[in-house]
Amino acid sequence: MAEVRLVDIEKKYGAFLAVPQQSLTIHDGEFLVLLGPSGCGKTTTMRMIAGLEDITSGDIMIKGERVNDKPPKDRDIAMVFQNYGLYPHMTVRQNIEYPLKLRGVDKATRKARVQETAAKVELDALLDRRPSELSGGQRQRVALARAIVRTPSIFLMDEPLSNLDAKLRVTMRAELKHLHHELGVTTVYVTHDQMEAMTLANRVAVMREGRIVQLDTPKKIYAEPADLFVAGFIGSPSMNLIDGVVKGGVFRADGVEIPVPLGDRDGVVLGIRPEEIDITQDAGAPISGKLYALELTGESTLVTLRNGPSSVCARGHADFEAEIDSPCYLAPKDEARIHLFDRASGERLG
Amino acid sequence: MKRTLSYVGERALLVLISIVVLFPIAWMFLTAFKQPRDAYSLSLNFEPTLQNFVTVFSAPWNLGSMVMNSVVVATVTVAIAVPCAALAAYSFSRFRVKGRKFLFFLILSTQFIPAVVIVLPFFLMFRQLDMLDTRLALIIVNLAIVTPFVIWMIKGFIDAIPTDSEEAAMIDGASRLRVIKDIVLPMAAPGIMTSSIFCFILTWNEFLFALILSRRDAVTLPVGLVSFRTERGDLWELMSAAGVMITVPIFIMALFIQKHFTRGMTAGAVK
Ligand SMILES: Nc1ncnc2c1ncn2[C@@H]1O[C@H](COP(=O)(O)OP(=O)(O)OP(=O)(O)O)[C@@H](O)[C@H]1O
Ligand SMILES: [Mg+2]
Repeated sequence: MAEVRLVDIEKKYGAFLAVPQQSLTIHDGEFLVLLGPSGCGKTTTMRMIAGLEDITSGDIMIKGERVNDKPPKDRDIAMVFQNYGLYPHMTVRQNIEYPLKLRGVDKATRKARVQETAAKVELDALLDRRPSELSGGQRQRVALARAIVRTPSIFLMDEPLSNLDAKLRVTMRAELKHLHHELGVTTVYVTHDQMEAMTLANRVAVMREGRIVQLDTPKKIYAEPADLFVAGFIGSPSMNLIDGVVKGGVFRADGVEIPVPLGDRDGVVLGIRPEEIDITQDAGAPISGKLYALELTGESTLVTLRNGPSSVCARGHADFEAEIDSPCYLAPKDEARIHLFDRASGERLG
Repeated sequence: MKRTLSYVGERALLVLISIVVLFPIAWMFLTAFKQPRDAYSLSLNFEPTLQNFVTVFSAPWNLGSMVMNSVVVATVTVAIAVPCAALAAYSFSRFRVKGRKFLFFLILSTQFIPAVVIVLPFFLMFRQLDMLDTRLALIIVNLAIVTPFVIWMIKGFIDAIPTDSEEAAMIDGASRLRVIKDIVLPMAAPGIMTSSIFCFILTWNEFLFALILSRRDAVTLPVGLVSFRTERGDLWELMSAAGVMITVPIFIMALFIQKHFTRGMTAGAVK
């Protein structure tokens, strides 16, 4: 059990600023998800917590103790590496067993723990293979198993499920959720998968260019993105972001006229999620245009409408059918679910 | 058409080079089994004998003690040089210390100094220490010659190993030395094996220092060969027999290296 505090930490690679000065507290027993585009510094942050990367300035505190100079082995951390970092000369069994061996766990317990953990990640049939004889997804599960075979103070997981097929990913996700519930170990978790972030996280930290731009519960991040970047990054398909102006209390863009509680101004972006839009037959609807594309996702159909530069996507019923290029009308379900941003600064308005 | 021509040309060249390289060795092997009267004959039609090998191992040649000297000097040199070099190579490869590049250059630069330049200082030093004509002196000199080379060689192998597995081991709770023992050494094993054999060959064949620093007790095989040039002329058949004794272990080791070179140990560690 451990609280992790990053105090004004900064990381430079030579002159390149990978993570600019910032602070972050990960509560005891919390499941924190780091979310952000490729290259934004997620792995770097993890590696600093683990002690694999020197921090340029600032402090890292684990359980209230400053650990800047503590070697990784003394931080009681288990980590799943983004590129696995398996031991190629050892079998799967030896790979999973290694952390236990280093901690002097006796042979019988080790054997039982390895069996149990391998079963959790569905690797029990492959225990005697070497990593080079495994598929990418199987290797990733070895990396995962090696981390969860013991109970550390902190779990660091860098995209631990990225290489698994959809079905296995859901199973493993549930497994991890259960594990966290059972052990309550403080966990930092990197993912690109919205579903993973939403389902697993107590809090999500959205990162951009090394900076944490929003830190909140998944619900809050989804419902109230702090700025344009978070709005565009969270959600799949992503939020519709329409460029326009506000005049006389109405947001206007090509084919879009939506009343908003905002004074006159230029350079406004209106954001609305596809889930928050109804498809109607009403020619007087706030959003109108020509049907541009229909995509069946299984449980629903994504309807994309175009009018000039404006393009709006709505999530409709799976049975929805219409001709491409036919006129199409959309209406926001709930005025309260409309987001307004400043185009130039990206900040949330109103 | 053009391709087959270049193919044929390439093969012809390879065959030619092989002949040039292999002919003296083949001739030495033949001569080793000839009787003295056949030694200068170019005919392949001779009566083979093992007498030469018996002769070189008996008085006055006593090749046995030279074999022993060579084996001891080469083995001890490898046994000391390789572990030290492996640790040094690891440090050079992994630790970002200030002045690291310069230090590495300094170590390598010792290899640029011609041996003849330092042989006299070595001679004087060992005479002062009363260590002339001892195996220990030869071992010390060989260590000085071989270690920089082995450091450089092993560093190449360690550089090629991704650091990911090491980092994983450190997180899993291993100390730096434990990481080296459990992760790095097994992964670098083929490279270290290869380097050891190179190191052995270098020491085994070392001539100049052995010639100057030994007289009677510590004479090694390459130096021993010279003694077959007598007032009665060069005893080619004996020299060849001794030459075979020098060459065969090296051949066997070269075969080993080939086997190891073809096998990578890092497959499957990372994505
Ligand atoms: N050893 C290094 N030297 C120099 N720059 C580095 C080094 N490691 C990472 N960087 C840079 O730091 C930034 C953050 O990298 P990091 O690996 O943390 O990204 P990430 O968020 O994990 O991305 P991804 O989702 O692609 O894994 C990147 O711009 C990267 O180029
Ligand atoms: Mg990363």
